[in-house]
Amino acid sequence: MTRFYTPNFNGKKALILHRNGESMKRLTRQLERLGMQVTISWPEFPKGDDVYQNGELNFDMVFVDADNGYDELFPWLSGAPPVPLIALLGSELPGRLEWAMSQNIVSHISKPIQSSGVFSALVFAVSNFEKMKIEQVHLESLEMIVSSRPAVLRGVSALMKHGDLNEDQAFALIRKAAMDNRTSIEKYCLSLNANIFDKLLLNSSKLRKPKKVN
Amino acid sequence: MKKEIPLGLLFSVTGTYGAIGRDLFDGALMAIEEINDDESNPISFNAIIGDPGGNIDEYHKMCEGMLRHDKCKQIIGSITSIGRKEITPIIEKYDALLWYTSPYEGFEVCENIIYTGAAPNQHIIPLFEHMFTHFGKNAYLVGANYVWGWEVNRIARELIASVDGEVLGEKYLPLDDVDVERIIDEIEHKKPDFILNNLVGNSSYAFIRAYHELGKRNSDFLAIKRPIISCDLSECDLKHIGAEAAEGHLSTAVYFENLDNSLNEIFRDKVTKYFNRNRSISSFLISGYETVHMISKSVAIAQTDEILAVKDALYVCEFETAMGRMKIDSKTNHACLTPLLGRINSTLEFDIIDAAKQPIIADPYLINFNAEQFSKRIATLKRLEDSDYLTVIK
Repeated sequence: MTRFYTPNFNGKKALILHRNGESMKRLTRQLERLGMQVTISWPEFPKGDDVYQNGELNFDMVFVDADNGYDELFPWLSGAPPVPLIALLGSELPGRLEWAMSQNIVSHISKPIQSSGVFSALVFAVSNFEKMKIEQVHLESLEMIVSSRPAVLRGVSALMKHGDLNEDQAFALIRKAAMDNRTSIEKYCLSLNANIFDKLLLNSSKLRKPKKVN
Repeated sequence: MKKEIPLGLLFSVTGTYGAIGRDLFDGALMAIEEINDDESNPISFNAIIGDPGGNIDEYHKMCEGMLRHDKCKQIIGSITSIGRKEITPIIEKYDALLWYTSPYEGFEVCENIIYTGAAPNQHIIPLFEHMFTHFGKNAYLVGANYVWGWEVNRIARELIASVDGEVLGEKYLPLDDVDVERIIDEIEHKKPDFILNNLVGNSSYAFIRAYHELGKRNSDFLAIKRPIISCDLSECDLKHIGAEAAEGHLSTAVYFENLDNSLNEIFRDKVTKYFNRNRSISSFLISGYETVHMISKSVAIAQTDEILAVKDALYVCEFETAMGRMKIDSKTNHACLTPLLGRINSTLEFDIIDAAKQPIIADPYLINFNAEQFSKRIATLKRLEDSDYLTVIK
């Protein structure tokens, strides 16, 4: 399988939440030149059978009028768009910029729409959205690690007592067992109990005798 | 009574890429004189001439003069993308139409520009299709240190990756730099199957001559074995290189002087008569010439030089030219063109060794390019080529 890295939007679907007019016709033409299908809707989010497919939004990106946009315009939780959200900016009033940022926009295009600027806005939007998604997943896993820290501490200290081990030895045993069970240390620690401790100690004693520490 | 239309001609006929500018300018002027002398043509052009001399700061000033002072609604010109980008905002501000005639790196569709030169799917892609099939997949890339060189080489990298080839080196020189020896040394060491040359003007000439010297001392580097290929080297460059050094190298263009068709015969005669000597003709010269004829025909049909009417008229026209049938795609404002591949011969002309079977619609954003399909196509072409080769041997 070979890859061509030039950004390609051929076949993608765009939703423009903006009053239709000369500027949006220009944006539509530019998007169609990139091979995209365009739907324009204002002042409400479109309703119809084709808006969702299998419960997911049937658009690959959404453009929104940042001058007149409002929270209730979107069917999603404010600031959590399921696809890249691109602001169409005419006004640079701090209040409107603040609103746009609160929606978690990933790119913007200045109005009136020019021939240049649309392609780069799409490229930035898609790339920033991907980064945001990856960071979100990373953040969730870090949060899980932090919130399970007490369980890990409890597990390590219980095993230390149960097997008369030092902290490093207990942690090493738990880490190995988590790896063997193909799970994270945090998840593994949530399932620990005395029976498991005995098994762990028995397995490890076949390899080497745990060193006693005073 | 003819209606006189001001037409801006903004070409650098001096400076680094003056040879290209001279051909574009000569072609455009030749067409203007033809149109002005033709009593049956309802319009005549008042040519407003500006030569920025390759100096980027001059483009904006000269262009604004043409728009504001001379009331031009139509301007033909700019050669490099830097030049085009420099004047685009002011062209848009005055809602004028820029006719851009050079091959370029794509990724642009401006509603105030008509692109009559080749886009990447009309130059580098067909060129690489030939190279992968006939020479190999490992290339060395050189270019001038600006957007044309960078972007064409970037597309080249992706094409090479898509067929599992290797980029054996990539080097850039400032415009006009002729210090090419280190690049030549590296090429000798790396032994690429071919070299993509996106240098411009004097750098390009010096590079091709230095490569010829390498070929003289090491026969692995003869043009016939490992050619230098280019997307914009044309007839107007060859005399600056010299026959001995230039022979055997390849270039793609939408026109070569040796193109064998009756319209080209007529065109060659016209050029000889107009210049009163045997002048070489490049794709740039004919591009300048045909583009002015496109402007004339569109303005004549529109009966005004207001750009919306001119564009509407242009989109329905077809132009029978020595380059083949040309049409401007209303969706992209780009020309359908027929890419050719030429090999430089000992008399400083291009022998046409490959050609697209029909005009190709421009795909400026490469939205119809698919690496997997491209790779399969190369494999098929290679099999056909290899079986042809076996037949010949028998």
